[in-house]
Amino acid sequence: MNVMGIIFANDANIGELTNQRTMASLPFGGRYRQIDFALSNLSCAGVRHVGIISRHNYQSLMNHIGNGEEWGLELEEGGLEFLTPYAQSVTHTYRGKLESLSNAMNFLEFGAEDELVVMIDSAILSNVDLVDILNKHVQSGKDITVVTKAGVANGEKLLDLAVKMENGEVADMVVDYAAPEGYLASMDMFVLNKKWMVQQVKEMIARDKFHMDRDLVLGGWQRGKVSVNVYEFQGVALFNESVEEFFYNSLALIKKDVRSDIFHGNHPVFTKVRDRVPTYYGEECDIENCLVADGCMLEGGVEDSVLFRQVTVGKDAEVEHCVIMNDAVIGEGAELKYAILDKNVTVTPGAKLIGTKKSPIIVRRGETV
Amino acid sequence: MYFQKKRVIAMLLAGGQGSRLKVLTEKTAKPAVPFGGKYRIIDFPLSNCVNSGIDTVGILTQYQPLELNEYIGNGQPWGLNKTHSCAQVLPPYERHDKKSGWYKGTANAIYQNIDFVDRFDPDYVVVLSGDHIYKMDYAAMIAYHERHEASCTIAVRNVPLEEASRFGILNTNPDNSIYEFEEKPPVPKSTNASMGIYCFNWKVLREALIADEDDPKSSNDFGKNIIPKLLGAGHKMMAYPFDGYWKDVGTIASLWEANMELLGKEPAFDLRGDERFKIYARNSALPSSYIDEEAKIVNAFVAEGSEVYGTVKHSIISIGCTIGKDVVVEDSVVMPGVTIEDGAIVRNAILGENSVIRKNAVVGGAFGPQDKKKISVTSKNAVVEENSVLRPGDML
Repeated sequence: MNVMGIIFANDANIGELTNQRTMASLPFGGRYRQIDFALSNLSCAGVRHVGIISRHNYQSLMNHIGNGEEWGLELEEGGLEFLTPYAQSVTHTYRGKLESLSNAMNFLEFGAEDELVVMIDSAILSNVDLVDILNKHVQSGKDITVVTKAGVANGEKLLDLAVKMENGEVADMVVDYAAPEGYLASMDMFVLNKKWMVQQVKEMIARDKFHMDRDLVLGGWQRGKVSVNVYEFQGVALFNESVEEFFYNSLALIKKDVRSDIFHGNHPVFTKVRDRVPTYYGEECDIENCLVADGCMLEGGVEDSVLFRQVTVGKDAEVEHCVIMNDAVIGEGAELKYAILDKNVTVTPGAKLIGTKKSPIIVRRGETV
Repeated sequence: MYFQKKRVIAMLLAGGQGSRLKVLTEKTAKPAVPFGGKYRIIDFPLSNCVNSGIDTVGILTQYQPLELNEYIGNGQPWGLNKTHSCAQVLPPYERHDKKSGWYKGTANAIYQNIDFVDRFDPDYVVVLSGDHIYKMDYAAMIAYHERHEASCTIAVRNVPLEEASRFGILNTNPDNSIYEFEEKPPVPKSTNASMGIYCFNWKVLREALIADEDDPKSSNDFGKNIIPKLLGAGHKMMAYPFDGYWKDVGTIASLWEANMELLGKEPAFDLRGDERFKIYARNSALPSSYIDEEAKIVNAFVAEGSEVYGTVKHSIISIGCTIGKDVVVEDSVVMPGVTIEDGAIVRNAILGENSVIRKNAVVGGAFGPQDKKKISVTSKNAVVEENSVLRPGDML
């Protein structure tokens, strides 16, 4: 099977944490960036031609991914391509996925015509068996496969795309709507036949339609022009589409069932290697129920938290329910509860930062508090 | 093919068996033995090369090379896989003139690869061994070698007089030039021990290797043959004093000690140290470690991909290990992929890669007051059965 992957790098925005970076380069899970999960899903399925569509703020992303060698994408043919907007073709940033795809025609039309295309988003993280999804897509004979997750729709969470199934067929489909329980939420992961997709993108753009979910999937399905196969993913899918969700999911990763699903042994999640030394646990540290990456120096107390690489926690510090990104220095006796520390934050000795579960305190990159 | 001329290349002797590491090197060459939680011994000389600006390294392998070769791969973890850099594994091979076959000695190993070295037309060749733990800037040593217009420079460290007879001792003039080399002298005249790190002018070494090969009485060894012969021929040879941390991890006790010396707030060997002098290792794509609420970790290293539910004191827990509930691990080196099941006790031990300590088993124990360090060792993939005991100093 010839398969190419397309990853959308900034389809969501969660405020301060994504002000200076794409959603794709948002740190997650102690040692990863969000995009690592999409790249690893593709890599583990043997996909060796991946385009990353990025609208803006892609510098940290390019720095993270480099030539893609960590994901086996440093190839002469195919490999990894950054598909960024260029001034000649569009003076604005992309309005929707279809428009960005139409700008990436050179990439899409490269290679065999019988290829399948996998589209993955950077905000929803999972460790899927893509080979199974691709096989099911081919077996279904449908135009497009939407990968979905049950149990996400609750009548409150706004979903990009949701479907209701009856007797194995799509009975209802909604876009940008807080669908009630019983609907399957799209994981913003699609499989399409390339040749068909290229034609659809051209036709949609010709009619000034640029929204993938609304115009192509929903519109096409309603008009009976697009046949939709729905794949229900049984594993863990983490929807990091708001600060609250990002915070909740970051800490959920500490739980064994979530952790062992997202990081299951057969499909590793690859990321940029940093060559940090193992974490040192000092004489008086007290670490409970935490995920800890390499390179930390721990002398204080940390509970129910995720520590990224190279974090220093001073003596008598108390850290609870926190997400502490790379290179933070937490001074002696500092007290942190329900906080997200972006990279390179310094917490001075004795400082107190107390947030809540619903709205954690966010300390911006490089700041000192 | 085009080969860029190099000022310096390194030849890393990685073929030794390391028999004094006993069960740990039964199936693994010594340079591939795990160290410090996420490294292997060979990461140290390889990273030193890269950090010293040496981008071409020939790695001479012989004993149990599979794992070592896999580990080195194309040299990517050390950045040695670029257009003008390489980490080339050089195993023994067959030649038309029968001057080939297994490497007879350290000098013979380089002799058999003269063609490899010649391709880069180097001014200097640095000869290293794959069984020492240290950080060293070889560039400084090469500059010293150049400054003194020497034919050969040997790194030396000061050892206690009572230990000097275990080493190759270099007797020097006040200007550090060497006038005599004694291999393991019973009555040492000085305490300058060779660290097995040599910098040669390639032209000089090349000639010496060819001459040595033609000497049927030679054992084709750097320390025993090449160095004394060069001295005898009147070449200028310099000792390069090095006072940083350096450890030969050739024995169970020294391997254990070197691991323990990584621990503490101000460790004897600080792996963090200088950001520009990192030690690189092949990465295994494991997630962060999970530390349970019942876990207690004191003065220890825990590398990534591990799960800790029990107590760990003054120990190294490597990548991908599981330390079960009510487990006590103390003063031990736990190598990658080890599982210690609930209730087991491990003290003063080295647990080989992927070994399994079943429930309530006891491995090792406290050193008695009269004992030398009796370290218990499990080999790769060994299993210590439920409720069984591996006594202090025993190996499995």
